[in-house]
Amino acid sequence: MDLVRDVLDKKLVDSEHCEMGRVDGLVMSLEEHSQPRITHIQIGGTTLWMRVHPVLGNLAAKLARKWGPRRAEPVRIPWSRVLTAGRDLKLHVKARETGAIDWEIWIARHIIERIPGGGHEEAE
Amino acid sequence: MKKALQIALGIVTSVGGFLEIGSVTTAIQAGAAFGYQLLWALLLGTICLIFLVEMSGRFAAVSKHTIVDATRERFGFPFFFVVLVGMVLVAFMVLVAELGGIGLSLQILTGLGFPWWAIPVSFVVWLLMWKGTFSLIENGVSLLGLVTLSFVVAAVRLHPDWGGVAHGLVPTFPNDQKAKYGFLAVSILGASISPYLMYFYSSGAIEDEWDESYIAVNRAVATLGMSFGGLLSMGVLVTAALALKPNGIHGETFEQAALLMTTAFPKWGLFLFAAAMLVACLGAALEISLAIAYFFAQGFGWSWSQDLVPSKNARFCFTYTIIILVATVPLLLGVDPIKVTMMSMALTAATLPLAIFPFLFLMNDPIYLGEHRNGWVSNSIVAVIIVISFVLALISIPLEIVGG
Repeated sequence: MDLVRDVLDKKLVDSEHCEMGRVDGLVMSLEEHSQPRITHIQIGGTTLWMRVHPVLGNLAAKLARKWGPRRAEPVRIPWSRVLTAGRDLKLHVKARETGAIDWEIWIARHIIERIPGGGHEEAE
Repeated sequence: MKKALQIALGIVTSVGGFLEIGSVTTAIQAGAAFGYQLLWALLLGTICLIFLVEMSGRFAAVSKHTIVDATRERFGFPFFFVVLVGMVLVAFMVLVAELGGIGLSLQILTGLGFPWWAIPVSFVVWLLMWKGTFSLIENGVSLLGLVTLSFVVAAVRLHPDWGGVAHGLVPTFPNDQKAKYGFLAVSILGASISPYLMYFYSSGAIEDEWDESYIAVNRAVATLGMSFGGLLSMGVLVTAALALKPNGIHGETFEQAALLMTTAFPKWGLFLFAAAMLVACLGAALEISLAIAYFFAQGFGWSWSQDLVPSKNARFCFTYTIIILVATVPLLLGVDPIKVTMMSMALTAATLPLAIFPFLFLMNDPIYLGEHRNGWVSNSIVAVIIVISFVLALISIPLEIVGG
């Protein structure tokens, strides 16, 4: 498998077919006596903007600390949770428990649901 | 039978995609200034668009990915970010122009100035997206769009010299006003090859759950639909050449452009024009707002579907809500939509390489398209379109300054 071609920037889908963003970054562990290996998938604006330019990355980190809906750290999903890597990357997680869709939920509850006809985010 | 119906609907839909304030005003100005001489630019734009739309539809039907998905996946976020900024800026300007076009049409129909219409118009556009399903937007609005057929009827009623029309399909150089001629040619191509249409179309293919069995349908819709749209624009240009040019009307303001149909239909030509523009701009405004929201949602991996209730894809709906809200501001301030239109057409041309260049790689990618990759014919045509787009990008801004 080619990490950049087949993993990076692919769409992430959780075990309930909920779209939970894209692979914004990959975390590798480098230990002295073993091969480098991928440990986590990283999701979130900070990771993403860091790829464009460190200035943007630091700015995004600052904004996330100030106004992020719940946590400032980028969301990390263990590599062992990757089920299949086809057209999309299927993960054995529940999107709302990972924090990857915190913004989606926050906007739904605080803005969209308050507009008539917006429906309810948790309704089936 | 279902597919035949889809082809018919697809053809009608292209009215909303093709005919909008940009293509109408550029065609009117071209006809009013140069007669049939710029028809070739419309023909060239239509041919390019047929191929690009066919490819974006085929890409979505086979790979179940949109062009935007694949641009992020294949080229990475930094490149995608550049495309995002370019496309969204231009699409936003076009949205302002379309909302303004609706306002100007209402101004003709009611006499009330267009800034007064900014808020009601934006609200109705937003409400249609908030409440409407994808097929309502795609089919409902475009059926109303059939009123734009009156552009062709008007052209025929004025008995054009068909030999002259045919002659206009071959590019020639004018004797004077070369800069204006160049500027209009670039604007016509910018108005015809509008990238938001490709993004909208490939997202539509996913919304309508197309698969490989739709490849033939897609080809028919792209070819017939875009030809139909091109024909309507040609009707506008020919009518302008016959009705406005002899009277020395340049069509550079909306009031002048609105005189387009009054020669062919003296009594209600003005209202017919306003009604046609109203519907065409409404369709385009909906498609552009959706295209911008699709662009963000697909690029960042949010859930998106026009058919879900808004809170199920909150960020997607939030995006178009904000975009429409912001687009209302310049109109409230009374910015001239026609000026915005002409500027955005030149900018579309300037950013075209960003939109077209990825096609060459994506359409040849076996991982996405398998055996349905581009053949050498399509690839040569994409290559030609890329060359055209680079030339347009280089000359559009200087021409905007000299000729616009």
